[in-house]
Amino acid sequence: MFRKTMFPIASASALLAITTTLLAQKPGPTNVTADLPAGAMQAKATTACLECHEARIILQQRLSKAAWTKEVEKMTKWGAVVDPANRDALIDYLSANFSPDKPAYDPPRTVNKNGSGKTSD
Amino acid sequence: MNSRREFLRQISGAALAAATAPFMLTWALPQGQAVPFPGEDGMILRSFRFVDLESPVEYFNTWLTPVPHFFVRNHMHEPIELDASGWRLSLGGEVEKPLTLSLAELSKLETHSVVNTLECAGNGRSLHRPQVPGIQWGKGAVGTARFSGPRLREVLERAGVKATGKHIMFRGLDEVPAKVPPFIRSIPIEKALDADTLIATHMNGSPLTKHHGFPARALVPGWIGAASCKWLTEIKVLDAEFVGNFMSPGYRLPNQPVKPGDVVKPEDTHAVTALSVKSVISGPIDGSGLKTGKVTVHGAAWAGEADIVKVEISTDGGMTWNHAKLGRDQAHYAWRLWSYDWKPAKGGDYSIQSRATDSQGRVQPATPAWNPSGYLYNAVDQVNVHVS
Repeated sequence: MFRKTMFPIASASALLAITTTLLAQKPGPTNVTADLPAGAMQAKATTACLECHEARIILQQRLSKAAWTKEVEKMTKWGAVVDPANRDALIDYLSANFSPDKPAYDPPRTVNKNGSGKTSD
Repeated sequence: MNSRREFLRQISGAALAAATAPFMLTWALPQGQAVPFPGEDGMILRSFRFVDLESPVEYFNTWLTPVPHFFVRNHMHEPIELDASGWRLSLGGEVEKPLTLSLAELSKLETHSVVNTLECAGNGRSLHRPQVPGIQWGKGAVGTARFSGPRLREVLERAGVKATGKHIMFRGLDEVPAKVPPFIRSIPIEKALDADTLIATHMNGSPLTKHHGFPARALVPGWIGAASCKWLTEIKVLDAEFVGNFMSPGYRLPNQPVKPGDVVKPEDTHAVTALSVKSVISGPIDGSGLKTGKVTVHGAAWAGEADIVKVEISTDGGMTWNHAKLGRDQAHYAWRLWSYDWKPAKGGDYSIQSRATDSQGRVQPATPAWNPSGYLYNAVDQVNVHVS
């Protein structure tokens, strides 16, 4: 009888310890949107591009410099605010970070619940 | 309306997905990396803003795709406010009697249902080489659902299309950012008058969710998803194809095959309309380890406006091909599920390929037809597995 009651208590204690450890290791709320990579143009690219869409649309591209040039021209026409003085540096930043030789972007999955996450932009 | 049998099938599909989801999440997601997204279950997050969600191919195990597993493609922000009571659909242009319908008026019209495989024109874009700009879809920007609502032609007939009416333009309530051109496209009058082209209000027996175009969307069966405008608010009868970014240069294919990387002049292109013939392997999953014994290779195959005639499977790198068994559920515009029982003779690395053929004689090609926007990728599908 004694042993029968002690076992669940011991199990519950062990479970609590494991749960506490897991909770302690759990990272904070996942950002629902991603950030652009660090670099001299990160802030300007964030202003120019992320006003309308999130960073993952950029993070998943693998394009040549010629293709990035076309994209920047198209997006500028569509309202992206790019100072002409920064245009070439922006194209270099995108071409350097998202070129065809980079490994493919690994997107996250969704989980069907209300989010406590926050947007990063 | 869904029959009870189909309802049960959907439920069993959802149960299967729920049973397999923990395993997929375990290997696919670092702990804590799942992004909370109400109503969207285990989807690949291509973009949060605008919302672009891809179905993992493992979900292609049911003839009807449950809505939480159905891909979402948005070009713009979703409408901020959608009030069913205040929503109106206007119909004008080359018609005798322009009209406006409320949702209540629309729902009084005869309802028609079409089981349709909806696929984004850019599905598989990430597999093209060289890579091209756009959402880098893998294989899962496709799904099959029962769409229901009044026929578009009934509404057009009420308004009385003039002889000058040649194209039907759809405009949705998307929130257009900055100076981006609005997402407006048109379809030819012949397709608009087809008995299966709908103003859909329901998907798998329930009202459309916001991500899928609540309260009403166009449903242009067998055609690329972009033809089926969501959050529909305006239909306009035009005397010619709509002129705008999403008709040209958007959503166009080269008239002639081009070499990968070629530049194509706009005058050498045509609008993308019907889907290609295509099959995808939904199991075993690429890169998986298997035991010797019976392995069921399975997946889905579709062909837009045509019917799937056969699906063939190769387990020896394309040297020999064997017929897969086609599933019994079928409808004109819907995919066929298929399966093939394979008994690998010995352990080792294997490449499993699937190749579909349709009623128009089209066959999935060994190599994709590269094009500058990466549309209609439909090369023979392949997964690599290790048998031990």
